[in-house]
Amino acid sequence: MPFRELNSVQLDTLKEISNIGMSHAATALSQMIGQRVNLTVPNVTITEISKVPEHLGGAEKMMVGITLQILGDARGSIMLLFPQESAHRLLCSLLGHQEKGLVMTEVSVSALKEVGNILASAYLSALGNLLNKTLIPSVPLLAYDMAGAVVDHVLIDLSQSGDFAMMVETDFGGEPDQDLAIKGHFFLLPDPVTLNIFLSSVGGSV
Amino acid sequence: MSTRVTIAQVRIDQSPAVLKAYGLGSCVAVALYDPEARIGGLGHLLLPNRPERNALGSESKYVDAGILEIVDELLQAGASQDRLVAKVAGGANMFETSYQTMIKSIGARNARSARETLASLGIPLFGEEVGGNRGRTVEFDLATGNMMVYCARDDDQVSI
Repeated sequence: MPFRELNSVQLDTLKEISNIGMSHAATALSQMIGQRVNLTVPNVTITEISKVPEHLGGAEKMMVGITLQILGDARGSIMLLFPQESAHRLLCSLLGHQEKGLVMTEVSVSALKEVGNILASAYLSALGNLLNKTLIPSVPLLAYDMAGAVVDHVLIDLSQSGDFAMMVETDFGGEPDQDLAIKGHFFLLPDPVTLNIFLSSVGGSV
Repeated sequence: MSTRVTIAQVRIDQSPAVLKAYGLGSCVAVALYDPEARIGGLGHLLLPNRPERNALGSESKYVDAGILEIVDELLQAGASQDRLVAKVAGGANMFETSYQTMIKSIGARNARSARETLASLGIPLFGEEVGGNRGRTVEFDLATGNMMVYCARDDDQVSI
């Protein structure tokens, strides 16, 4: 089904699915970094593929992107994006003392991938339980570059079935102090067949 | 005056304009230029080839169809196909991949499709900045036909 034709009940369904998945992921992350992680209610946006970089704050903004493929009973991909300051703060919490700015060493790349792995696994296992499906994350891949360049990888996948992307976006941040907050975007990008599986599993009419 | 060319879009304009494509990963930016008429076009293209059947959505997301679209628009605007020259940037592989996916070499396939399409139209390729694993931003100056390629991560810039 083209994403454009989703009705508000179906969008709410996806939002709720994502909410449950994300809260598990946030719990996993807070245990890992030893501080509270809050998340905002996910936003489900249907947007033209060409506008996705704008939704991320501009195509040239430097971001760390971690992507995993969803394997098993459903297909799609997951993309986690951290603005560079947030990636740096995350590394400080994980590894202790760090350089002043974000420096990509073998250790920091590996640590960030592990964050991606834990978030995606927690998310997919919650989602899988809810839908009674087996969802397995692939090995995480990481890129540190301009937002546009990092996300076009997933857009290419999506663009083969149309001109629209569905982004399930969640922001998480623990600190009430905005300067110290860790912000991230979490995108669930199911392929159209998988979207039907999700919706029919939760009883939404397709 | 500069105009932004977003993903899956093609634009043409004439001197003294600048066409920009931001944040290219595995996408390619294809620039075509008629140095005499000083008009040119830029495409921010996503997928290598338009499928023969059941192509979904806009034409300008495909490298081959997008190039044809730019050529058509340029010819209508008064360019001559004999004078057209091309420059290509992008086509990176942003994520190091250890498992086989269709996406694996999409950047390289985009670049190859651009070269093949240009060759089939007899348009010479004057320069390219493709491949690797870095994101690029492209500025195509229609006054000179010059293409600046910026790489934010390496803080590098190349003129082609």
